Amino acid sequence: MITFDVIGFLLSWFTFFSIYAILSMSLNLEVGYAGMANFGKVAFYGIGAYVSAYVSMSIFLSLAGLNYPLYSLEATMAMVKLASQNPMLNVSVFILTLILAFLIAGAIGYVIMYPTLRVGPAFFGITVLSFGELLRIFLRHYEPTGATYGLTGIPHPFAWIEDVFVKNLLFTSVTLIILILLFLYAQRLVNSPLGRTMLAIREDEIAALCMGKDVPKVKGKVLFIGSGMAGIAGCILAYYIGSINPNIFVPTVTFDVWAMMILGGIGNNKGAIVGAGIITLVDRATAAINFVFPGLIIDPNFIRWMIIGLIIILVLLFKPAGLIPQTYTWTPAWKIVKPLEEKAKRRREKLLSPFKKISKWFLMGG
Amino acid sequence: MPTITEFINTFWVGSIYFLSAVGLTISYRVTRVLNFAHINLMTIGAYTAVLLSLSSPVHVAFAIPVVFLVGGIFMMAVHFAVYSRLMELKATPLVLMISSMGVWIFVKFFLYGLLGYLQKAWKVEMYLAKPRLIVGGEIKVEGLTLSGDLFTALALATLAAIFLYVFFSRTKTGKALRAVADNPDLAEISGISHSRVMYITWFIAGGLASLSGMMWALFAHATPELGDTLILQLFAASVIGGLYSVPLTTVGAYTIAAAENIVIATLHETIGLEVSYRPFFAFFILLVVILVRPPLGAGGGLPYRFKVLRRLMRR
Repeated sequence: MITFDVIGFLLSWFTFFSIYAILSMSLNLEVGYAGMANFGKVAFYGIGAYVSAYVSMSIFLSLAGLNYPLYSLEATMAMVKLASQNPMLNVSVFILTLILAFLIAGAIGYVIMYPTLRVGPAFFGITVLSFGELLRIFLRHYEPTGATYGLTGIPHPFAWIEDVFVKNLLFTSVTLIILILLFLYAQRLVNSPLGRTMLAIREDEIAALCMGKDVPKVKGKVLFIGSGMAGIAGCILAYYIGSINPNIFVPTVTFDVWAMMILGGIGNNKGAIVGAGIITLVDRATAAINFVFPGLIIDPNFIRWMIIGLIIILVLLFKPAGLIPQTYTWTPAWKIVKPLEEKAKRRREKLLSPFKKISKWFLMGG
Repeated sequence: MPTITEFINTFWVGSIYFLSAVGLTISYRVTRVLNFAHINLMTIGAYTAVLLSLSSPVHVAFAIPVVFLVGGIFMMAVHFAVYSRLMELKATPLVLMISSMGVWIFVKFFLYGLLGYLQKAWKVEMYLAKPRLIVGGEIKVEGLTLSGDLFTALALATLAAIFLYVFFSRTKTGKALRAVADNPDLAEISGISHSRVMYITWFIAGGLASLSGMMWALFAHATPELGDTLILQLFAASVIGGLYSVPLTTVGAYTIAAAENIVIATLHETIGLEVSYRPFFAFFILLVVILVRPPLGAGGGLPYRFKVLRRLMRR
């Protein structure tokens, strides 16, 4: 009888949940608010992971004065020793790579925007999708990042803690804090003037252009922020699993994120997080099923992916707004107008109530 | 220098790309759905041929209509199940595109599961199969073998081109398709049944794409990832045609095939570029086309053609 490790399961679920929630929130900013169909989310996720792995490993090795190539076995062995020596260094490298992953992934997103800013969502989708696929092919052949084997031995920010449980707990809480901060940022962003411009672009690009909004510039900004957030998610993933290779960043990851966003509700940050929670829970559960019952006739992985495809289709067909539909934007003006409107509504009802009684009396037939 | 084999492969692969990309262009023009499920069709076509010839080899003339029918009916079923319902809900092209992505994932992993089951049940290698079709007409010229597969691909592409030309310019149904592509509302008022036109379009597009999948399986192998590996080439060929024009799509298909065979062979010999960087050429062509000759208006784009250039010139 295998004892089921509930706390371990929860910790791993929460970490994956925050990674995917950040991804789906960033996709939601692009698709739900600015109407840009980003089918290449995985590219920026991968860029973030690779940037943080490369930078952190090179900093550690160069500080120790070792001159191994990053992908070599010697480097991996040395990293195991180096990672648990200096707590300050570990944490500061983690923070530095978070910022770097955000900036580099965002900058690449901004550059990718340039060729596609004049064409519609269809062409944008194709271009970004192929960019993600090509990045993977490139990484598979690029020697400095270890080609197909990838990089192993990324220093965990809390590697200096002996107790594994405390280490994981601390890391999971840090990722949850990052998620909360990014959520507050995204909420503030979508309720700002920029957020309302994004909504205008989503609803009608030509009308937004005619109102004097610089549509390409706004799209570039949104893509910078969205890609940067995906880079942060990639950074967290790299530190969490400790080794990365190009086969993690397959296009199917993008579809996972899309399914989360559509299930939760397009154009709603809370919805994106709820969707991510549900699908990562199902995902972890399938992993557990695979572990408990090996050798099923049909691989549970395939069934899981079929369910992802079905979720996208069925939600679009029967509940296009998702689990949590989009609501109004909380602008300062709306905060003043909303109570007034409710007051007016109450007054109208009070005035109309005698007439309603009379009409009811007539309808009831005396 | 590229050998004669590269030139032969260019025509061979180009014909396959043409068969598939032309369906993508036509279906986008008429139905306004950027159909990612088009990628599944190639896999379905390849595996229909594999399953047909599982027990004994089958002649290619028998396989072609069967594969065409299977692909066409599959695409009509997808339209019936998903796209037609979304169109009734007045969904935007973005939503239709996302739903086609859902269909793509579902069908891809359904095929994975089905093939895995068949592999276990029938004890046949399914994830890397080759259809056993009888293709006659092998020619040997000066030590060079021109296989019948090559001629079949060329003949199919030529026949499809002639068929499409006659269909769109001479027949009433083809003209109805063009009318719906230009202005759906006006076509509806003129008495053209919108849903009938949709089903015909999907049938033709699906059939052509599944034929190209069968030809690709003869050229290489049939794997569940067959369509996914070709996605970039197909979309690049269609973008060269602006998702608009069938003749330009033909040009695009053969251009990309040439870049992938002749150019890469030359670069491999001169500067030692790895052959696996092949898809980068299609992406490069895609970017150049989008930058130099953007398909304005198509896909909901905006007419900012020279805005950025003008701003740069002012500085």
